[in-house]
Amino acid sequence: MKKFNSLPAVTTFLSATFLSTALVSAADLNIIIEEVPDYEIIKKLTEEYEAANPDVTVTFDAMPFDAMRDKILTSSLAPSATYDVIIIDNPWMEEFAKAGYLAPLDDYIASSDGYDFDDFVGAVSSIGVVDGKTYGVPYYNYALGLIVRQDIFDKEGLEIPTTIEDYMETVKSLTTDDMFGAAMQPQKGYKIMEEWKNWLYANGGDVFDTDGNIIINNEAAVKALNQYIETYKSAAPANSLNWGFDEALRAVSSGTAATMLSYNWMLPALNAEGGMSGDLAGNFTLHEVPGGKAVLGTWSWGVPANAEDKDAAWDFVSWISSPEVAKRRAIMGGAPVRTSVLNDETVWKDGYGEAYYKALSGILEDAAPLTSGTNAEELIEIIGTELSAAVSEQKSPQEALDDAAAAVKRANR
Amino acid sequence: MQLKHRFVLPLALVLSAVMLYPVAFSAWISLHDYRLTRLNDVRWVGLDNYTFIATDPGFLNAMGNTITFVIGAVTLELILGLGLAILLQRLVRFQNFIRSTLLAPMFITPIAVGLMFRFLLNSELGVISHYLGEIGISIDWFGPQLALFSIILIDVWQWTPFMVLMFLAGLESLPKAPFEAARIDGASAWLTFRSVTLPMLRPVITVAIIIRALDAFKVFEYVFAITRGGPGDATETIMYYIYQAGFRFFRMGEAAAAAFLLIVVILVLVIALVKATKSNTEAPNDV
Repeated sequence: MKKFNSLPAVTTFLSATFLSTALVSAADLNIIIEEVPDYEIIKKLTEEYEAANPDVTVTFDAMPFDAMRDKILTSSLAPSATYDVIIIDNPWMEEFAKAGYLAPLDDYIASSDGYDFDDFVGAVSSIGVVDGKTYGVPYYNYALGLIVRQDIFDKEGLEIPTTIEDYMETVKSLTTDDMFGAAMQPQKGYKIMEEWKNWLYANGGDVFDTDGNIIINNEAAVKALNQYIETYKSAAPANSLNWGFDEALRAVSSGTAATMLSYNWMLPALNAEGGMSGDLAGNFTLHEVPGGKAVLGTWSWGVPANAEDKDAAWDFVSWISSPEVAKRRAIMGGAPVRTSVLNDETVWKDGYGEAYYKALSGILEDAAPLTSGTNAEELIEIIGTELSAAVSEQKSPQEALDDAAAAVKRANR
Repeated sequence: MQLKHRFVLPLALVLSAVMLYPVAFSAWISLHDYRLTRLNDVRWVGLDNYTFIATDPGFLNAMGNTITFVIGAVTLELILGLGLAILLQRLVRFQNFIRSTLLAPMFITPIAVGLMFRFLLNSELGVISHYLGEIGISIDWFGPQLALFSIILIDVWQWTPFMVLMFLAGLESLPKAPFEAARIDGASAWLTFRSVTLPMLRPVITVAIIIRALDAFKVFEYVFAITRGGPGDATETIMYYIYQAGFRFFRMGEAAAAAFLLIVVILVLVIALVKATKSNTEAPNDV
């Protein structure tokens, strides 16, 4: 689908190497990273970094998401870090920063010529800022978008829904004996929270209000949960209460479902020729989440406070997230986080097309994380458990959200 | 120090290092607000963690689910294991082949078993659901009503062979004379089983139940791989609860308190089981 253009690559490689403060002294950098498509791109790009810095060896410790949090913790608690560079999921940022695990990067950013921190999409870069200090710079975004089978929408003469009510109606109308309107992921915990929060945003709700009061059980939240349950019952595959990301993706890629709310970077994978979608490749399009405001997820690069060679760690981080390398990463299929990359015509042409990047720009323009705080991970699990109880009819929506509010209070004691 | 004590010293030191110290440290942690992300602010809280855990609806639900799981899984494994062992003992041909085939599930790591059944039983993508659908049967294996039962069935699939192995060894070691006497007296197969086989096999059954029950209390992998404790908290087990508290939320004080409460529950159940078995064994002699 995309070709790697060698001439611009060489040019940008040379300029990116120049931008790097200087050739760093000998260093062995261990980097913990999640096994996602972006990792393969990072790995490939890193070969260039190593070629330009022959005394630096970069070793990636790639692993599934579930293994990462405790590995980062144990590395951070050790007298000397196992990892010189880490990636941080957005619910962990405040927790790790306040625990003293992360080195502030403000001075490094200020002294890196041409780094242009302000070029990062504001909603994404603000996640790395805790109490006025920057502890993480964006790696990739996993904001949620609406992925649809455009061929089906075209055939049925359907418009892309822009409100949650339109979406509910559309997916219900698409549901037949052979096809489901929506592949949902109501699995307990993170997955259902990540999906339902889009319904919550569409209804103007949130977990906390601006004063920090819990509003997860207010009228907007109950309405959002009722709508979510109605959509599940009318348009999602039967018996899919336990579905997470994998199952929903398989349902869409195999042609069983017409839409899904999922990570925007799944679109290229779904449309890849010879990929998971088989003959359906090329039929998928990305759009803003109905209701406008989307759930934002971001992984950020960070340097552990106990890393031995923070200068070398930052040199790599600033290189891999520099405007030039970020552009090439996007062309190679990475999820962009810089405004200049999202608006770059070369990226549109050599990457996944103008429509994809414009849709992504729209998504990132109005997107917010699931929640924040030093125990965000726990709050997401608590609320996600109660949401699951409501969808599986173990509790009424009001009862489940009241219990969620009580459990959040208990966790914040 | 006497020579005999010197011989024991290395073992005592090793045991202290690998068992006593961690247990003592866990006990200390359980009495503190000990969070891995707040190690500079570890505070003595006395029994607060225990009070919190003992009144936490999540913990009580997880404990209830775990006990249901243990009773359900071990009972089914006991019945099936005993039945299969008796059948296998009587089998003349292919006994070794069938025996080794039956044992295969035990050699698969539980996390792989969990992942395997997650897809086998998936309503849209699973082979089992597909063929059941062909004959008009639609089962929501991981819905709120059946999820825990499905997890029990998966455990039964994997660990019944262990029971078979234990009972087969027990059956083969029983003396032949009582069985011959029962046959000469004209006892039916059922009477022989109830009055001869079962009483003589009771010690093996007790050990098998205790080993399986202790192992079943640790159920984690199936839950982690398939349901993550859901839907709602329908399959949240005590080990998953402790994992969440300790390794996802880093509340080590609460996780340690939950672990100690679990130890108390297990101890009470094991003592009750051993006592019940002993009293049953002693009863015939008292007559």
